[in-house]
Amino acid sequence: MKLTVPHLGHMDIFLRAMSRKVGPDFVFPPKTSSRTLLLGNKYSPESTCLPFKFILGNFIEALEAGADTIAMITDHGPCRVGMYDVVIQQILKDLGYRFDWIVMDDTRLWNDYLRRFNRERKKKGISFWQSLQAIRFSWKKVRLCEEIERMAHRIRPLEVRRGETTRVQTDCLRRVDEAMDDKELDSAHQACLKKFHGIEKDSFRNPVKVLITGEGYMVINPHANQDIVRRLGEMGAEVTRTMWFTSQIAYALHLDLFNPKSKRKAIRASRPYLQHNLGGECNASIGYPVLFKREGCEGVIQLHPFGCMLEAVAKNILVRVSEEYDIPILTLSLSENLSETLIETRLSAFIDLLYKRRGRNRDR
Amino acid sequence: MTVRVGIPRALLYYRYSPFWETFLRTLGFEVVVSKPTHRGLIEEGFKFADEDTCIPMKMAFAHTINIKDQVDYLFIPRLISLDARTCFCPRLAGLPEMLKYSLPALPPLLNPYVDERYRNAGLLRSLTEMGSSLKRNSKEIKEAYRKGEEALQVFRKKMGEGEGVAGLFKKVDREDSKGRVAVVGHSYCLYDPFFNFDLLRILKEAETSIYTPEMVSEEEIDSKIRELGKDIYWTSGREILGASLHYLQSKRVDGLIYLTCFSCGIDSMIEPLVRHKVKEGGDKLYLHLMIDEHTGSTGVFTRVDAFLETMERKIASRRTK
Repeated sequence: MKLTVPHLGHMDIFLRAMSRKVGPDFVFPPKTSSRTLLLGNKYSPESTCLPFKFILGNFIEALEAGADTIAMITDHGPCRVGMYDVVIQQILKDLGYRFDWIVMDDTRLWNDYLRRFNRERKKKGISFWQSLQAIRFSWKKVRLCEEIERMAHRIRPLEVRRGETTRVQTDCLRRVDEAMDDKELDSAHQACLKKFHGIEKDSFRNPVKVLITGEGYMVINPHANQDIVRRLGEMGAEVTRTMWFTSQIAYALHLDLFNPKSKRKAIRASRPYLQHNLGGECNASIGYPVLFKREGCEGVIQLHPFGCMLEAVAKNILVRVSEEYDIPILTLSLSENLSETLIETRLSAFIDLLYKRRGRNRDR
Repeated sequence: MTVRVGIPRALLYYRYSPFWETFLRTLGFEVVVSKPTHRGLIEEGFKFADEDTCIPMKMAFAHTINIKDQVDYLFIPRLISLDARTCFCPRLAGLPEMLKYSLPALPPLLNPYVDERYRNAGLLRSLTEMGSSLKRNSKEIKEAYRKGEEALQVFRKKMGEGEGVAGLFKKVDREDSKGRVAVVGHSYCLYDPFFNFDLLRILKEAETSIYTPEMVSEEEIDSKIRELGKDIYWTSGREILGASLHYLQSKRVDGLIYLTCFSCGIDSMIEPLVRHKVKEGGDKLYLHLMIDEHTGSTGVFTRVDAFLETMERKIASRRTK
């Protein structure tokens, strides 16, 4: 069995670490590129949303690379992600690919996945304790990856040589990915801290603080949001990202009860504006600006794929949040036709606005 | 003076209006329904609507603006889910807030909710809450609820027998009809003549028999969805897909028209499945009409004409065989 999954943040690093210790074997789709989107766009129904196109493209490229089993998380609405599996399976079959499909959802079909995993484990003679250790290690690894990204978000607006932080970040992520055990991971961690410390910073700058919220796939994946985090950083804004691979998993498994900035808390914060939890990230998108305004966040960018069923609701309600909390909110509706220049222009106008609001000119 | 309650003629008005109107009237309110969709109403309303949503949603904005100054309350139910398996489009669930925060100077909104899936909160309970805030006692509310249900049953039965909305079309299932067409889509796409350029009338004038999703029984839809192997969780998507599968397998129907609106999330997932089944079956004509605010009537007429002509030719060739 050669399993494949779509790209979602650092999920590949997590699963690769798992696979090295306990299996199963993975064939990851190549890094999401313009070819991925081209393929996805070509074979998708015209009015599906952007994540669908990326995921379909990922699967096609993974099958080309030799994968024979596809695993995908699904749910039961109301977002259309719950229907992805049916439509994608049909498209891939029509294209003539042969593959097994593992549906992972929160009800009985989880068993399907866990049973396979268990069988694989026994075949390899790995104890249950070892697999728990593997999960712990992989989790720690992916947490570290996200820590590195957060560090990069903080340092990028201060860097003197443009692009240095991004280089360091890529390098660090690679080192973490390569670490085989706890000792190596710890030394990689130390090395990363050192490297980030070594970046030449202009500590007189006082970057504006921008929060990125919105639909999960768009926020988590740099390939889907035109690398908006890096762009903002280089324009001199300190970015806080609301959604991470681990935070989504933690939310689904109820592991985030004590985190003051969790999706759960954000949903609670959205209650004055939207009493009912609509599902997806709609309520969280509304609640996060409320939570982070208290932390000194100065502007919010809401990302959503064009035609998103849920974020359109959030967008309308965020207008009111923006008024009541006196915080500018920029909504970017992303589609496959969005040009880089347009994103750049709108972002830099937004950042300019934030600096003007501070009552002084940009200090770069 | 009687209290006036406004209902926008949009979205699921086309499905549940008898219940809403009867319920409110029995409680002694004057019900004001917005005018049927027309050009001026759209032009006024689209200014306020968010550009990312679908047209039916924008129409809801337009219809709300149309009546907001004539009424004391606006009746905007929050539709979340009718049973444990299905739910409505999330935009419908968020509609009250979307209107509240986007439109200026709205009268207070009445939004009873129905949510059997997540909170097990029945319609009657939330209607009781709503009614008591308007100084009606629970006995009156129960009575109104019962009458509303009855009216809805009558309406459903009429729709199921093919009498359509307000006698718009009569079932013409005769031997001499020029073809039998199943038209599927959301109720607000099918029954808003302005939205679909009066498609049903065109079909009626072409002397075809029209079949709609409402004419397929719920059991039949359930069994078709079961065959598919995946539970469709949208109320409307389930009905559309189940009815399409039913009509594609039935010998009575010659062609299928699927009416969708641009940027509808449900249609974007259901349409590929329907299209696939059409290809698999191979003996039915299929027309997918996607309508957005720039769609011109000429384009629609041409495509429908071509569809009807192909159908006629196909039937003629079958007869000569």
